[in-house]
Amino acid sequence: MAEIANTLFNGLSLGSIYLLVALGLSVTFGLMGIINMAHGEFVMIGAYMAYVMQQIFAALFGRSGSLYYIAAIPFAFAVTFLLGCIMERTLVTRLYGRKMDSLLATWGISLILQQAARSIFGSQGVNVNAPDFLKSGIQIGGCTFSYNRIFIICMVAACLGAVWFLMNKSSFGAQMRATMQNRAMAQCMGINTKKVDCLTFALGSGLAGVAGCSVALLGSVDSTVGQSYIVYSFMTVVLGGVGNLLGTVLGAMIIGFSSIIVEAYQSASIARAIVLFMIIVFLQFRPRGLFTIRSRSLDE
Amino acid sequence: MTDIREHVLKIKHISVIFDGFKALTDVDINVKRNSIHFFIGPNGAGKTTLLDIICARTKPTSGTVHYYPLGRNAVRLTGMKEYQIVNEGIGRKFQVPSVFTALTVMENMVLSLKGHKRVWESLFYKLSDKDEMAIMEVLRKVGLADRADVRAGSLAHGEKQWLEIAMQLVQKPEIIMLDEPAAGMGKPETFRTGELLKEIKKDCTVIVVEHDMDFVKQIADTVTVLHEGKVLMEGAVDEVLADQTVQAVYLGRGGERYAGN
Amino acid sequence: MRRLKGNHICFTVIAVMLACSPFLVGSSSMVQFLGKCMCYSIVAIALDLIWGYTGMLSLGHGIYFCLGGYAMAMYLRLRDNGGALTDFMQTGGLTKLPFFWKPFLSFPLAMLLVILVPGVLAAVIGYFVFRSRIKGVYFSIITQALTWAAYSLFIANSKYTGGNNGITDFTSVFGSTRGVANRGHLTAMFFVALAALVLVYLLASWLVNSKFGKLLIAIRDGENRTFFSGYCVNQYKNFIYTLSAVLAGIGGALFVNFNGSITPSQMTIAYSITMVVWVAVGGRGTVIGAVIGAFFINLCEYNLSSGALAGIWQYIVGAIFGVTILFFKGGIVGIVKEQIPALFARLQSAPAAEKEKKEAA
Repeated sequence: MAEIANTLFNGLSLGSIYLLVALGLSVTFGLMGIINMAHGEFVMIGAYMAYVMQQIFAALFGRSGSLYYIAAIPFAFAVTFLLGCIMERTLVTRLYGRKMDSLLATWGISLILQQAARSIFGSQGVNVNAPDFLKSGIQIGGCTFSYNRIFIICMVAACLGAVWFLMNKSSFGAQMRATMQNRAMAQCMGINTKKVDCLTFALGSGLAGVAGCSVALLGSVDSTVGQSYIVYSFMTVVLGGVGNLLGTVLGAMIIGFSSIIVEAYQSASIARAIVLFMIIVFLQFRPRGLFTIRSRSLDE
Repeated sequence: MTDIREHVLKIKHISVIFDGFKALTDVDINVKRNSIHFFIGPNGAGKTTLLDIICARTKPTSGTVHYYPLGRNAVRLTGMKEYQIVNEGIGRKFQVPSVFTALTVMENMVLSLKGHKRVWESLFYKLSDKDEMAIMEVLRKVGLADRADVRAGSLAHGEKQWLEIAMQLVQKPEIIMLDEPAAGMGKPETFRTGELLKEIKKDCTVIVVEHDMDFVKQIADTVTVLHEGKVLMEGAVDEVLADQTVQAVYLGRGGERYAGN
Repeated sequence: MRRLKGNHICFTVIAVMLACSPFLVGSSSMVQFLGKCMCYSIVAIALDLIWGYTGMLSLGHGIYFCLGGYAMAMYLRLRDNGGALTDFMQTGGLTKLPFFWKPFLSFPLAMLLVILVPGVLAAVIGYFVFRSRIKGVYFSIITQALTWAAYSLFIANSKYTGGNNGITDFTSVFGSTRGVANRGHLTAMFFVALAALVLVYLLASWLVNSKFGKLLIAIRDGENRTFFSGYCVNQYKNFIYTLSAVLAGIGGALFVNFNGSITPSQMTIAYSITMVVWVAVGGRGTVIGAVIGAFFINLCEYNLSSGALAGIWQYIVGAIFGVTILFFKGGIVGIVKEQIPALFARLQSAPAAEKEKKEAA
């Protein structure tokens, strides 16, 4: 019983991490059709921002304590949001409608960001200490639920709620969806589509920053930390069906749970291969993912 | 048996449901050999969906399509892959001109030639004089003979439409399906297209989806009116256009739509 | 037709220069480096066939490069070892040679496997991926994921693959290539690679100019239209994908002869995308572009990534790549063939237009 609970909890928390990283992607990839290969690097920047906050608090108050982490989340969001804005204005804006080129050009950015991180923080990994209030866990029955994993699950839920609300209930969300569905029409309705594009991309990047803060809790942070999450996160979006929030959630959970379950019997690396193989088999039946949008054009 | 000879295509009880939306309901249509058969109807009537079903771009929820080629056994098209259907002799021209823009007119035509469609055949394929003559003849028919070495991407819109028709012709199909061939063409061009189709009719069957009523009147042998996914009426042009129900659902609203376009 | 000729002349010049280089260049390491560049060029051509011509961006050609490389390295390692267990097998606690290492005791079998292993893997992957009509960026994302899975498998099973260190400490097919005494071996190896490059170039040129090649372009520009022209696109895609994987494998197999080792780092996503960079910068959709790009980027890296500029090399690659994608879609070949002539034309027509204006006035 305890074992099952443990497995479920681990699956949920792993799925949550993928979801958190994929959430930003589902905005930039799903809504805007931009494959942002630098998304992983935004995650990395978010993680480093948590580290920076920790150092600042340590310098100011002698010890980093708990508050630094609370401050780090909005800080990381702001920094990556801003970087996302700059990147959209300078680079991505020239790439709408050129999916494959967007993938390649943003990969160039990802190289530059990685090198920048190495130049600033060194190539050795740095550690972000968990804030005091996340240091232990609760014991229920025979198994431990660590607070930082619970915290990540809560953070995902909060981000998901916020994104859902923003997209479906706010007027900005309506503008955003209108722009992504029919740019020309949206312009005719008086929507400033350039601004919407910029903010949407920045939002996706900002979410990556928040994801970075949680990733920082799980291990040491170096310039390639984003890379380890990005592959599964792309798969999550593809599995769920591009442009569908519910699909992304389900996709992340499926990948998270199946990884944990397979890992119970196999080594982590073989588990990875098996899970990817399962996804590819699944795509045989639903090539467009769990939730699909029909298109009438011959070649999109 | 005479029935089989007379009809080239039989659409039986075709229904399509997209996510709960009934695009087509129990459609029955027989297409006569060597005729020009029009599918008309207001937007959303299911005309393009019907073409999609014949050429296997969309799977029907129920029903079958059978094809009766000359001198061969009947073929059940439902369940076949799109490229197999093409090789059986059913060509399709799409609404938006889709030619291979990076290739020349000649190369576009060579790719469309009947036969040599397998990987190995294409590796060692050499254009024979006979094939080249056939291509040039078709190009002359559509008036593109002097543009054989031009890149297809740099053709005018109307020329692309004709190239796409030419690409269908060179496959020597028994049925050729055209989705709005006159879209984006002026009156004289449309008329010329009509005359071309009349000539094509001698060798094959033509199925057309079109809004332009003058074009329909110019060349149609049979007209099927679709409305909300059902066959409303079928018959000769005058007969159909005189019908009150047809006028109510379609022609009455025609003026608005033309203004919209 | 004139454009084609230009390409071939350019390649002939490169090939002749390469053929002379072992006799003109003193440093063995430089000759070795040029040898590696030829292997990179082969991979670049392979990638160009599926990306530049067919429009399938594979982010996983590192797998095939490495599979070819590992196959060759396994043979060479066993040969140099006298067929005994390697150090990493002993560390891993193996007592006898794993069964899949055994074929690599024989040279002909090993050569066969250099071709078969990447080829069969690509054919199987291709069959499933293309059957379900996964294309465009979805294809890229899946190949990226596969690369990652393969990479972690190679790292994790270190007793069979050498793990992070890969397979090291072996000499080339002709024996050691280090030092002045062994220069003959190096030159021989160099000419084998050059011959392979020339053959691959000829094969690719022949392919892209056949009807098959036109069809690849047709698939790139309008996949569905190609279906409706009566072609089974899946088979075409799978054929070119498999061929491309085999060529990449051959490139990898030659590469290890010059490099003296093979590690999983050549299997990473980053390395696979680096290969894409070569093609993009050289000029996608032209065979010569792939060759030029592979040489250009690697020569830059060779000269810049050591010394004072080491810290900023990655900035430079990133920037070159971004700028190429944004502004120079045709890469170097595109600049030479289209953008410079266009510039000249504009420069020439500008004064002419002014003159006309004056005359009109």
